[in-house]
Amino acid sequence: MIEFYAEIRLVHIWSVILSGSLFFLRGAALLAGERAMPGRIALSMPVKLASYTIDTVLLTAALMLMTVVQQYPFIDHWLTVKVVLLFVYVGLGIAAFRFARTRAERAGLWAAALLIFLYIVSVARAHDPAGIFAG
Amino acid sequence: MSDTRKLWTLLGVLLVVSFSVLLWSGTRIYEAAPPMPERVVAADGTEIYSRAEIEKGRQVWQSMGGMQLGSIWGHGGYVAPDWSADWLHREALAVLDGWARAEDGVPYTELGAERQAALQGRLRPLMRTNTYDAETGTITLASERAQAIREVSAHYESLFGDDPATAELRENYAMKNGTVPDAENRRVLSAFFWWTAWAAGTERPNDTITYTNNWPHEPLIGNKPPASTFLWSAFSVTFLLAGIGLLGWHYAVTHDREEARVPLPEFDPMRHVKATPSMLATAKYFWVLLALFLVQILFGAMTAHYQVEGQLVYGYEMAEILPYSITRTWHTQLAVLWIAVAWLGTGLYIGPAVSGHEPRFQRLGVNFLWVCLLVIVVGSFAGQWFAVMQTLGLENNFWFGHQGWEYADMGRFWQWFLFIGLMLWLVLVGRALWPTLTQKSEMRSIIGLLFLSTVAIGLFFAAALMWGEHTHISMVEYWRWWLVHLWVEGFFEVFATAVIAFLFTRLGLLQAKTATVAVLFATIIFMAGGVLGTLHHLYFAGSPTPVLALGASFSALEVVPLAYIGFEAYHTYRLGGATPWMRRYRWPVMFFIAVAFWNLVGAGLFGFLINPPLSLYYMQGLNLTPLHGHTALFGVYGMLGIGLVLFCLRGMKPELSWHEGILKTSFWCLNIGLALMALLTLLPLGTMQLFASLEHGYAYARSAEFMQQPFVDLLVWMRVPGDTIFSIGALALVVFVAGLWLFPKREDEVPVRSEKESRLGARAGE
Repeated sequence: MIEFYAEIRLVHIWSVILSGSLFFLRGAALLAGERAMPGRIALSMPVKLASYTIDTVLLTAALMLMTVVQQYPFIDHWLTVKVVLLFVYVGLGIAAFRFARTRAERAGLWAAALLIFLYIVSVARAHDPAGIFAG
Repeated sequence: MSDTRKLWTLLGVLLVVSFSVLLWSGTRIYEAAPPMPERVVAADGTEIYSRAEIEKGRQVWQSMGGMQLGSIWGHGGYVAPDWSADWLHREALAVLDGWARAEDGVPYTELGAERQAALQGRLRPLMRTNTYDAETGTITLASERAQAIREVSAHYESLFGDDPATAELRENYAMKNGTVPDAENRRVLSAFFWWTAWAAGTERPNDTITYTNNWPHEPLIGNKPPASTFLWSAFSVTFLLAGIGLLGWHYAVTHDREEARVPLPEFDPMRHVKATPSMLATAKYFWVLLALFLVQILFGAMTAHYQVEGQLVYGYEMAEILPYSITRTWHTQLAVLWIAVAWLGTGLYIGPAVSGHEPRFQRLGVNFLWVCLLVIVVGSFAGQWFAVMQTLGLENNFWFGHQGWEYADMGRFWQWFLFIGLMLWLVLVGRALWPTLTQKSEMRSIIGLLFLSTVAIGLFFAAALMWGEHTHISMVEYWRWWLVHLWVEGFFEVFATAVIAFLFTRLGLLQAKTATVAVLFATIIFMAGGVLGTLHHLYFAGSPTPVLALGASFSALEVVPLAYIGFEAYHTYRLGGATPWMRRYRWPVMFFIAVAFWNLVGAGLFGFLINPPLSLYYMQGLNLTPLHGHTALFGVYGMLGIGLVLFCLRGMKPELSWHEGILKTSFWCLNIGLALMALLTLLPLGTMQLFASLEHGYAYARSAEFMQQPFVDLLVWMRVPGDTIFSIGALALVVFVAGLWLFPKREDEVPVRSEKESRLGARAGE
């Protein structure tokens, strides 16, 4: 598998960019309201399916990289942080899209999810649990 | 004579004839099985192996998981090699190498093509000639072979131990270190592997084909498909086309016949059936079933992952606790168990629902059987774990450990226990149905069919009890396929057809007589190919040519009804929309339609892909086998099990509103996940292996050299998307069922339809 390391890494990075961008755009569209055209598009089935597909590819590439570089969550702590924060990110995302009752609540949850997402990216780039705060 | 009576007579005659021929085939297999020698000696008289060692070797092989780790004669797991083919190849190479070094002073691989061909020409008679003396029970081998056997045996003794020299190979084969810790056990294990390779490479007396019909493809010793495989493959395709033509004609004649319109009920007739205490008690069967399904998926994921990391699961040394052969055992065993639990639960639920009669202590019986099933699952799995960890001891293995026969792995004690449990189930279902069975009514015939299929499910499990600890492997295979093919593929199918028709009859959408005739006809068509089709699993398991011919011809006929399954799917679809209240059954019906789809794709197309003897000669035990296995076993029986569970749950909690969104997610995720698993990994990987098997021989297609290519790794990883989606589908199903108990929501009754709607809907009964 090491032979495909560069390609898998590229797939992983691009799916991170796509996943994050789509989440950003869907959240922004929903701020206009669920019934407005952008909001309806954000919640439409094709967009949802695109999001599931990108995230599945992202997850697959992540698992492949893990076995190629032989670094694992709960052994290598930068990966532990990524996994734990991934759950937080997903939870905030679901809360923002499904359970938020007011626009302000949705905006807050969406922004928090985006911050977490960016922090996960910084952890990945630094290979350090402290991410952007790493010395 | 009425239509129904004629069909019953035809079915009876068909079953008597088919089973007579199947039993006769068993006697032929018994007579023509490769002999078990008393002694194997070298030309100078020194003993290489004794019968006791070969037999003990088989026990060792069974105790470590048998067919779950690698395969024998192509039957078993896919990550480790086929031990018969691997041994044969290694022994042939060792002889060739010995000659090259002695005569040319270089290894065999460094010789020119002409010289290699000359040595291969010398090797063929050496390996293929049958030197078994039936009077003394002795096989005598040339000294070169005796030397080669010592070399190959040393390799296996190293591989199955914890020798660092073979550590990488163990990882590639997903074997734990110290698979067989005892050195003497490793030596006799080699004896068994050698014997299976000997049978695969040695010609039958007075014949030019080997005991395994020249399987595996091994160019070094001239093992290539015999003429019979070409002949019967061609005939089998011809029979299939003839069968399709005949059935097409039958449909053309009968399909447009006017049938009495059924006045459709205004309300769901099952809605007001009051669930009796024993019917309500079956709920726990469905909860356990879902738990077993989730655990099965988990072990499946681990088993697939071992193909990538060998002994690790994402870095964790899992092979030390749950080695590959255990995760694969439990994965395959749970598949059959949870589907069987769906059958058992449905039978117990339907019995009193049909008759309205709750026999005394019925609930106690249902609860008792449930406890027994739990004990069987936990007890048999624990025994298998102790066996694979090599702590149970060979003397206890057969009864309480791991039998090593794929799908029939549990110890004999647990098989008896399960058989008795099935008899109890039969009694419980029978006594609930009895008042209806003895009453003269329209429903009697279809209920009789349903009951007969439950009797068959109960009794045919006894096939698993027909072999003993030391029964010849060819005969074990014969009975094992009675269990896997006849029990699972045959009578489960009859039960499925009968139960779906019965359910639609109960809902008032089909006339009892129409349904009975349709089910009887379907059963006749299915069993015409199905019973003798059992033999298609035995082409290369030490069986003679007539068995191959019968298996190829009749199993091709099994595909005939599948070619027309679109009729059934469309019919089911129409019934699903026949009345407004049928919306309540939308998802059970959708799962029944999925059953039809996977019956065509998984059982029909992917099944027939590997069915003709010539195809299977190259494909047996490659990834094209699990392609058929997953899409047919889960696609057909898994989907059916889920459909039945949903149907029973509808009746058990008729007043509740269903969260259709979760069920929709579950349905589509399960179907799309299964399709992705098949199309992204199993089909391309199997096809790559097929090319390798055709060009270089079977041993290469299963070797670490082939399976460890980066592209193969990549294909295995491609399972993750499909498997993830599939798992989400299973979780959604669990969430749905849990929600019925944890967050129940009542629904209002569906209103009466207009007269116009009633008239339109009545046409659906055609």
